[in-house]
Amino acid sequence: MHKTATITWIVLLVLTLAAALFSKLESHYIILIILSLAALKFLGITFQFMEMKKAHIFWKVIIIGFLALFVLALLIIV
Amino acid sequence: MGLEIMHTQETNHKNIFYPPGGILIWIIIFLELFTFGAALIAMVYYGNQESELFHNSSLKLNATYGMVNTMLLLTSGFFMAISVTELKRGNKEKFKNLLLFTMLFGCLFLCLKGIEYREKLNEDISIGYNTFFSFYWMLTLFHVIHVIVGLVILTSVYFGVKKENSNTSIEDVEASAAFWHMCDLIWIILFPIIYLLF
Repeated sequence: MHKTATITWIVLLVLTLAAALFSKLESHYIILIILSLAALKFLGITFQFMEMKKAHIFWKVIIIGFLALFVLALLIIV
Repeated sequence: MGLEIMHTQETNHKNIFYPPGGILIWIIIFLELFTFGAALIAMVYYGNQESELFHNSSLKLNATYGMVNTMLLLTSGFFMAISVTELKRGNKEKFKNLLLFTMLFGCLFLCLKGIEYREKLNEDISIGYNTFFSFYWMLTLFHVIHVIVGLVILTSVYFGVKKENSNTSIEDVEASAAFWHMCDLIWIILFPIIYLLF
């Protein structure tokens, strides 16, 4: 019935759980992993729940651009 | 425009001026994202300067609360998304029920946040405790205000749609849904940085 939305929701929950579990590990790549998982969730919400997939390419570029800049800025500072 | 004919006149979202929810709500969403984004970047910057303090402070937070709250908001967002789909299909009753679930999970988020805040205040950890907790209180409280505003908007949409001669348009509902999803988006970037990063 709402197959895509349900799959997106389950994936988002799994990614949240994965981020919490990964944060307990000791590794140099933890920050990168946590931020990547957050970025995936961000895209899942915008493109599926907010229906950005139906929007003009301009809006897609803006949202991905914001996310890329934000993650990049954090990685540079960390 | 009546709800009965709304679903037959869907907006073409491929038009640059009509993103889902409308251009105005997206301008607000981007302003909010940039504001929270800048504050989080500042938090990470200060975290680098005072790494030990930020690490020890983050240990005082219960990451399980943060994780459960994320799941509550994601579930709420899921119900919001499918409720809008149902309204577009003309299922007004289903829309109203799903909207109630959306608001229920939003309220559960606020309840858990309230429990977390109470614990922190009982430990005398308030906004002036240290730099980490100044960011924690400011960012999470600002987000909580958005969730409360979102709940008020959704309540007004619920009663608007419930009326016999409803003048609530699908664009109104989509804009409200976009605002609600924005609360998800903000939390999605707050949670890993505040609870997991340091």
